[in-house]
Amino acid sequence: MAGTARRPLLDRAGSITSGALAWIYAALLIVPLYYFIVSSFKTNEEIFESPLAFPSTWDFGNFTTAIDQADLVPAVANSALTTLGALVLTLLLALPASFALARSTGRLGKAVEGVFALGFLIPSFAALFPTFLLAALLGLFHTRAFVVLLLPATALPLSIVILTSFMRTIPRELEEAASMDGASALQVLRQVYLPICVPGIATVLLLNFLSFWNSYLYPLILIGPDTAQRTIQVALPTLKVDAGTDYGALMAGTLFTLLPVYLVYTVLQRQMQRALVSGAVKG
Amino acid sequence: MTATTDAVVGVTTSPEPPTTPGRASRPSARDRFPGFALPALIWYAVFMIGPVLAMIVIGFLSWPGMLVQPGFAGLDNFSRVFADENFWTAAGNSALQIVVGLPVMIVLAFLLAFYVVQKPRGHKVLRYLLFVPALISAPATAMVFYAVLNPDGLLNGLLRPLGLDGAAWLADPSTALGAIVAVELWSGIGYSAVLIASRLDGVDAEIVQASRIDGAGDWRIAWGMYWPIARDFIGVVTMLQFLSMLFNSAQTVLLLTQGGPGTSTTTLSYLVYRKAFVETDLGYSQAVGLILFVLGLLGMGAIRRVLRATY
Repeated sequence: MAGTARRPLLDRAGSITSGALAWIYAALLIVPLYYFIVSSFKTNEEIFESPLAFPSTWDFGNFTTAIDQADLVPAVANSALTTLGALVLTLLLALPASFALARSTGRLGKAVEGVFALGFLIPSFAALFPTFLLAALLGLFHTRAFVVLLLPATALPLSIVILTSFMRTIPRELEEAASMDGASALQVLRQVYLPICVPGIATVLLLNFLSFWNSYLYPLILIGPDTAQRTIQVALPTLKVDAGTDYGALMAGTLFTLLPVYLVYTVLQRQMQRALVSGAVKG
Repeated sequence: MTATTDAVVGVTTSPEPPTTPGRASRPSARDRFPGFALPALIWYAVFMIGPVLAMIVIGFLSWPGMLVQPGFAGLDNFSRVFADENFWTAAGNSALQIVVGLPVMIVLAFLLAFYVVQKPRGHKVLRYLLFVPALISAPATAMVFYAVLNPDGLLNGLLRPLGLDGAAWLADPSTALGAIVAVELWSGIGYSAVLIASRLDGVDAEIVQASRIDGAGDWRIAWGMYWPIARDFIGVVTMLQFLSMLFNSAQTVLLLTQGGPGTSTTTLSYLVYRKAFVETDLGYSQAVGLILFVLGLLGMGAIRRVLRATY
């Protein structure tokens, strides 16, 4: 609190402790990240000898090695394709559902809402094997397509909760006026609800972008190791080999996978923070 | 205006309070049936609820391999699981991870959040940094720590000038589980702190100032005011991190140690993965999955009781 008189040391013990903790944690965040970024320009010998030193030359060789070795270019394309497809599908499913749930006044609507809310408790990971069987059953095993179909289902509970609470704030009069002018339910959704819900939609898109782009186990099991299909998160760990990992290339590859997320975060920092906080979910 | 406790209770956590508008108009039949929700509901049933139900069924099947015709096993899988030493090791590892990791994560995140909301110098930088782990995928985090923790990595590189002998952190049975928990803490604390800070931001500055004038120190304000006010929300964050530790530790383990050395880092969720996809002992795997599910529900109940008790 600025402007107050200096307080005795004992009173400030709390903020000194939490302050020290905060900056120690900040250092624990920065140091590994710094290490990993400088390492992506160094050779194994340089990394081992002086881990924190600046690279002697800013050589991008590790990046080309990583990109070649793990086929990162098709992997990025696959990730982009899967993420984009899943995002579009999520909105196509969640928007009408939230619209219906926000407007519904009956008991059925409440029940459906409850079913989606329960989704937070489902350990979808433990059911990975049945999901794998489902992929085989649909003839979509080892394809990106199945993951595009699956990811929206994992995102529906959160997306619907966020969008429904957004749509509930829209006054009914607006909608009634539109209906009076002869608008169908679909037109009401598109022309009245959508424009007002833009911040909610942005929140859902950002949250899901993060979790789709960063998802690992589903693509690992369901898409598999085929370099033409696999995503960037699956490709990255292949740079780690049991004997003689090229740490420079591994770190360069890691940096490469982070660039799109970091780009989005830097451009949309405020919206992203708000989205993560209101979403309260971890990718 | 005097600050009352009502003002505190009235604070909302989300930027948009979910207000329920007055339902003055008479609902039409269409309004009562949420037909537009049907596609989402079907999608959800097929891809999420279906697999979970299948998991429960498979837990009672004898299915020792993908190509073998499954048969009914009753409770055999469970008796096999409970008789298996590896299961109890995994349960112990998961318990340690949660009993030690979770309170440490939440308490540190709370202190961090408390510090950030006081708006000290550099709090903006700090808020920016706290988000970084939330953006990085599990494989990227794991690869960074694989480099940090390898025998020639950063940690040993920093210890060496201090005259300390490092260890092969991930390959040594006595440190491997600790290393996994540390990586989870690294990525979880910042995110929890940001969430808790968003709740603490809503605490009325006037009552904090009033108690400062009454002579309350920071420590008392943190634990005596902020903690009780935010307790139910901290409960939500705790549940979130609990579920994430219980269910998602499999990916970190898979990427860093594959359960080893020996079984020293095999957690329950990794056991589900290994039994299903490495050993193809499917009934066993899904029986553990079911146990995990029940543990998740029990743990949530326990967290609710501890952190949501009325005050």
